[in-house]
Amino acid sequence: MLALTSPYFWYTTRATGLVAMVLFTAVVTLGSLVANRVGGTSIGRFELNELHRSVSMVAVVFLVLHILTTVMDSFVSTGIVSAFIPMTSSYKRLPVALGAVAFDLILAVWISSLLKARIANQTWRFIHWFSWLGFATSIVHALLTGTDSRSGVGLLLVLACSLTALAAGLWRVLGRPARAAGRTALSPLAAAPASTRPAPRGRPFDQGSGRAPSAERGRALPQPPTRTSRSSERPTPPATERPNQPPGAFPRVPQSDARRRGRR
Amino acid sequence: MIAPDALPRLLANPTGRPLTLAQHEETFPATQRGMRLLEELEASGLTGRGGAGFPTARKVRLLREQRSHNKFVVVNAMEGEPASHKDQSLLSANPHLVLDGAEYLATLIGAKNIAVSVARDNPTVVNHLKHAIHERERRGTRGPKFELHTPPWRYVAGEESALVHWLDDNESLPQYRPHRPTILRIGHAPVLVDNAETCANVALIGRYGSQWYRTLGTAQNPGTTLVSVSGAVARPVVLEVALGTPIRTILAAAGADTDPQAVVIGGYGAGWLEGSLLDTPFSNEALAPLGATVGAGIIVVLPRAGCGLVETHRVVRWMANESARQCGPCAFGLPALADDLAHLLQPSRDAIAAHQRLVERCAVIEGRGACRHPDGVVRFVRSALKVFASDVAEHVRGAPCAPSRSARHFATVPQLEHEEELIWE
Amino acid sequence: MGMRRRSGGFVLSVNPILCDGYGHCGELAPDLVHMDEWGYPIITRTPVALSNLSALESARYAVRGCPRQALRIERVSEES
Repeated sequence: MLALTSPYFWYTTRATGLVAMVLFTAVVTLGSLVANRVGGTSIGRFELNELHRSVSMVAVVFLVLHILTTVMDSFVSTGIVSAFIPMTSSYKRLPVALGAVAFDLILAVWISSLLKARIANQTWRFIHWFSWLGFATSIVHALLTGTDSRSGVGLLLVLACSLTALAAGLWRVLGRPARAAGRTALSPLAAAPASTRPAPRGRPFDQGSGRAPSAERGRALPQPPTRTSRSSERPTPPATERPNQPPGAFPRVPQSDARRRGRR
Repeated sequence: MIAPDALPRLLANPTGRPLTLAQHEETFPATQRGMRLLEELEASGLTGRGGAGFPTARKVRLLREQRSHNKFVVVNAMEGEPASHKDQSLLSANPHLVLDGAEYLATLIGAKNIAVSVARDNPTVVNHLKHAIHERERRGTRGPKFELHTPPWRYVAGEESALVHWLDDNESLPQYRPHRPTILRIGHAPVLVDNAETCANVALIGRYGSQWYRTLGTAQNPGTTLVSVSGAVARPVVLEVALGTPIRTILAAAGADTDPQAVVIGGYGAGWLEGSLLDTPFSNEALAPLGATVGAGIIVVLPRAGCGLVETHRVVRWMANESARQCGPCAFGLPALADDLAHLLQPSRDAIAAHQRLVERCAVIEGRGACRHPDGVVRFVRSALKVFASDVAEHVRGAPCAPSRSARHFATVPQLEHEEELIWE
Repeated sequence: MGMRRRSGGFVLSVNPILCDGYGHCGELAPDLVHMDEWGYPIITRTPVALSNLSALESARYAVRGCPRQALRIERVSEES
């Protein structure tokens, strides 16, 4: 490892960190715009999606630069391992640990998106929700690491990014267009939609019946009477009890081929 | 011994309670030993009684070709159609006939497990099945193992892929199957799904052969079928009829109104048939040119005192709520159809536009779901618009018929618990 | 992909369960896809010739751009 003590690594790491934070703010905002089906008139929806993808690539580049410059800067001894595994740095253990956590989450999201065509859509979506957690962790990392974020422009920047992302997140969940309420319940954050049907597993499409809960315990419904399970009324008596089917009463369609030779 | 041209066959039950195993073997003695079952099944021309009418032998052949140690036979007694109670009646009369048929099918395809699936909302039938399975276990032969499953009752829960998905993953969600025929699977195990009545027919063919079977019915549509008659009838009833019997005869035997305005035939995913056409034989070959189908053996009688459009609206509203809501055109389109029908029924200026929207939306929704639920509803709506065309014209003009204002309804439609259950725009 | 003339056609097919009505396909392949009033795609069922490169390209963009990966290009041979 190059033992460089130039302060430029230190400056670069701070700068790339802030830039990465701004870019990731843009990424989550664009992601929320895509999820809420914004666009179609002045800007295409697919364009927002492509922007989301491209900006995330740039953001990851800046993030990697931020990590590499931190690691290579020997003034603060953080090895490459502590970029991935939390609590292994001797310098500012907790903030760097949070940075590692954020990086792990973002890495998971990024890799799963690169492999999007090869993994199941459900899996991809589940992992993708963790991008919010990754972002929040990175904000806390920024605040705790503190070099720039304690005052002045740095603090303003962190606050602006967090507020933007918070607003985007709230809007993403609360401002969903009604038609989009399909299967976003796959998110680990979503609760099962309110329903009167019993939902034993709390899955989005629960397996209750279209009937009153009392019917699940087998009691009679207002209608239809034939599905009642009251013991006093049999659902339908078997045909032999009813005099409506005397043998030969049903005019049989004459068979051209003689097949009436039954076995008697 | 059952005479070949005697009815009933499937519902042959001298006692009035579900037949025990011993009684069952007395009522249906197996006279043919060493019969080549698959050939008899093919020669009999048996088609599925769950509504789709797929040739049973072909399905069996397809499953036989699958190489797997672990195959399943699923007996589908879910009976999602609310106007149908034939499977429940069959299981309350002759559960062992159904189980025998399932055993035959399991032997044919090499399955070691049979999953009998019946909706959990009817504990009487569930108990009958439990009892019957228990009797067989006590008998202890080395045949395939029976399991009883009780998914919750929903319209789509009886659909093949939804039922198999329930058995696989505990959710009654229909699956997307673009390339037919697709083999359904529980895990890796291929599955043969057959309606309970189909299984019972297989048992009869396995005992008495295809010639015996073809004695009743027509050449193209042989055998007998169970029909659930409801609506304008003293009490809803299940009859066993030979295929090819004129519909009016069936109505007369059921004690229903023999000169109704129209009937729902096949189910709520099928359509209406006008009263003037009720001398048509009850078989797919006769009904297909009229755009109707035997379906799941359902006849709902609408008398002259009823309004077909009101009944259609009630049905479509419920069917919209029964959507699995996996696909947009179904989840949003079906409530829109129900909404349009409501507008059509009210005397308002919107009625003409509602009619137009109805026709357009039917064209847009059709064929764009993963399963055939939206297609069924579209078919139902279109047949209603055709059969009740004069009513439509009157409602649109602002002169709704008197029956549409009465509170008396004829189609069996379960209550929607809360208004908010339907998704509206 | 080369300049070979291809025979046969293709169909853009959507898995209606995965589709969530994002509408990107309607923007990327407007010649093949129209949106219905609820935001879900109505895709032409008739096969498009593979030699129609612009249609094939727009179909590929639509497949790649779908947020739910609900689209697929299916080859249809000439005989079918």
